[in-house]
Amino acid sequence: MTTAYRHWEILERSQTGPFMDEDDFLPKHFTPTLKKLIKKYDIKYDPENPCPTDDAMADRIWQAAWELFRDVGYYNTDSHRLIQVTDEEIREALYMAHDQYWVGAGKDAVLWKHRQIEDMDPPFCIMSPDITCDEQYHQSICMAYLKEPLLDGICGPILEKTFGHLIESSGPSEISGCIQHITNQKLAARLLGRPGTFMVAVGTAEHDSGQIAVSDQEWGVQKSDARLVGSLTEFKTADTLLNRSLHYAQYGCFTGNLTGAIYGGWCGGSEGTAVTTVAYSLIGLVIHGAVFNQHFPFHLNYGSNTTRELLWSIAMAGQALARNSRLLHTSNGFANAGPMTEMLFRETAVHAMVSTVTGWHLWEMASTRNKYKNRATPLEARIGMEVGHAVARQGLSRAEVNDISKKLLAKYEDQAADAPIGCEYHECYDVAKAVPTQEHYDMYRRVKDEIADMGIEFPF
Amino acid sequence: MSLEELSKFVEDGETEDAQALAEKLLKDGVNPLEMIAEMTRTMARVGDLFSKLEIFLPEIMLAGEALSGVVEVMAPYLEEVGGQEVKGKIVIGVVKGDLHEIGKNIVKLILETNGFEVKDLGYNVDPLTFIKEAEAMGADFIGASSLMTTTMPRQKEIIEILNAKGIRDQYKVVIGGAPTSQMWADQIGADLYCKDAKSAPELLTNLTQR
Ligand code: B12
Repeated sequence: MTTAYRHWEILERSQTGPFMDEDDFLPKHFTPTLKKLIKKYDIKYDPENPCPTDDAMADRIWQAAWELFRDVGYYNTDSHRLIQVTDEEIREALYMAHDQYWVGAGKDAVLWKHRQIEDMDPPFCIMSPDITCDEQYHQSICMAYLKEPLLDGICGPILEKTFGHLIESSGPSEISGCIQHITNQKLAARLLGRPGTFMVAVGTAEHDSGQIAVSDQEWGVQKSDARLVGSLTEFKTADTLLNRSLHYAQYGCFTGNLTGAIYGGWCGGSEGTAVTTVAYSLIGLVIHGAVFNQHFPFHLNYGSNTTRELLWSIAMAGQALARNSRLLHTSNGFANAGPMTEMLFRETAVHAMVSTVTGWHLWEMASTRNKYKNRATPLEARIGMEVGHAVARQGLSRAEVNDISKKLLAKYEDQAADAPIGCEYHECYDVAKAVPTQEHYDMYRRVKDEIADMGIEFPF
Repeated sequence: MSLEELSKFVEDGETEDAQALAEKLLKDGVNPLEMIAEMTRTMARVGDLFSKLEIFLPEIMLAGEALSGVVEVMAPYLEEVGGQEVKGKIVIGVVKGDLHEIGKNIVKLILETNGFEVKDLGYNVDPLTFIKEAEAMGADFIGASSLMTTTMPRQKEIIEILNAKGIRDQYKVVIGGAPTSQMWADQIGADLYCKDAKSAPELLTNLTQR
């Protein structure tokens, strides 16, 4: 059960809630409240431990996040009003949320279940390049991801062009690009023999209209699939976004809330980033009726989350959510380095192990700071998912993961600011066959062996 | 009480204390030009700390506000010695269809703390609005941010409308945002591309001195 039954009351509040000038919302309302709560709950970042073991702090972060949402509200930039909720409504939504859902269809359906800290059930694995690609590679990239054995769900690359025409925001080319996107992705799944694979689609849609255009049980995004609705950084929304959550609920597909709290921005440091991330899960649940929350906290300067200040936030937010709720949430990796670099494989492995052991599901991997066309491949996502499965199956503890991640961090952390951008998809994949080149595969294998030597027992 | 203490108040974002101290120092005969020089050094330091993320966005924003407070107090004194130098006036916004605003907000802050007068148009801004606002402000620069390939054509449209109105030479058009590049700037005839906020003040200043 999602909280869709409250949708209309919540939406009404975006017209009737207290007025606030948008210029005041973040500096005068959000940040001061967050700062107060960090102090009140004595939340402290510890650079020595990227994957801390701290149940008590996790619970305090949960409490702070709850109060942050309740006291700040969620700002609608169109009506300039605050959508406010009560403790009772948050409690109700948490009570009503299921801790598991069947997603995808037919033989390809997968049961997606809430995870605990140090859970021995492997994470649910959504693979996504998170970037744009050239039209001629779109189908191949979808195929290449769908060839990944550990994939439970796919989110395909974003199109920049449709039939040679640049996709322009909110124009007919956006609608066409969205339909082309889902068609390619579904066709790839069918051809590969996993037609019912769970999809989060379509990233090419920038507007509500683009999403609505692909809702079709036969050829489009099906009810067994999911769609995302973003939150504007931080704690802000707009009518075009609320339109989406309403449409998803009425259409009947799954809703995910897409949020990236920014380290160095309005959240401040690691503490604020952790608290805000947890609060976003509550926002997703209560405001958007989201069945899962997709979080990508990232570093303001690097655009990544594989350095320790972000790993700490991810680890603590995961523990807070795992211990205090039954919700589903994915940890979305953002790496500094690009494809076919050892650094990228290491970054993804660290992101995946820290996330897995702290109760997250995985969403890997936005490579190359999520910035460059064609610069992401399934192979880095593969190493992340394999690490996730290994960490869970092996029953590694947070302390053990903390030690291993520190060893790996030592190999790349000082290169975060000027990481290599690596290769584009077609330079390290055989485009026709949608498989990695030998050189690329060998590099992956080398890093996997290196990680195995550090104590990760890969299942295969 | 000294200029160093004033610096400290500004750095800590203590607007009221900074204003009170500035008033006192000026009354006591401190040269306003010396004070503005000290403030410029302070903001450079604050900007530097922010670029290394040793302080965060809310802190630099508060420091910026404290600085504005001090500048307000200084205004009458500065006028006496020949006025305060504004490095340039700029309208800045994120183009139509695009809701990514964080980069633009940072550019705005960095420009403000470096002596530019900035009018923030927000995000999802129509190309024509950029121009009308620039006219209303008497701006030197139009700054347009685009974070998506799908909205980059709106940057080009700003330039096309300026051309159509025959006022292209009245404004320097500055573009930025992750998918944009020098190549794109050249292609659409923008005057400047900035890859980040840090480099913006100097590059903009160079442009006016050409
Ligand atoms: C955070 C983020 C979001 C947040 C935005 C929050 C907000 N309110 O700002 C949310 C989740 C809402 C979001 C939504 C979407 N996003 Co988004 N998002 C990003 C992400 C990861 C980071 C952007 C960011 O804030 N960076 C941090 C700031 C500090 O950096 P910056 O913006 O580059 O700015 C710096 C410089 O570029 C420069 N600068 C910027 N502007 C200007 C202007 C001037 C005048 C000057 C001088 C300098 C300058 O200075 C800044 C400071 O140094 C980028 C990926 C990326 N790496 O850029 C994708 C990205 C921009 N998003 C993308 C997409 C696809 C979307 C969605 C369509 C997703 C979806 N399907 O719903 C929606 C679009 C909604 C819309 N209509 O706008 C794509 C765009 C693809 C494309 N076609 O080009 C990107 C590139 C990711 C990717 N690689 O695919 N997103």
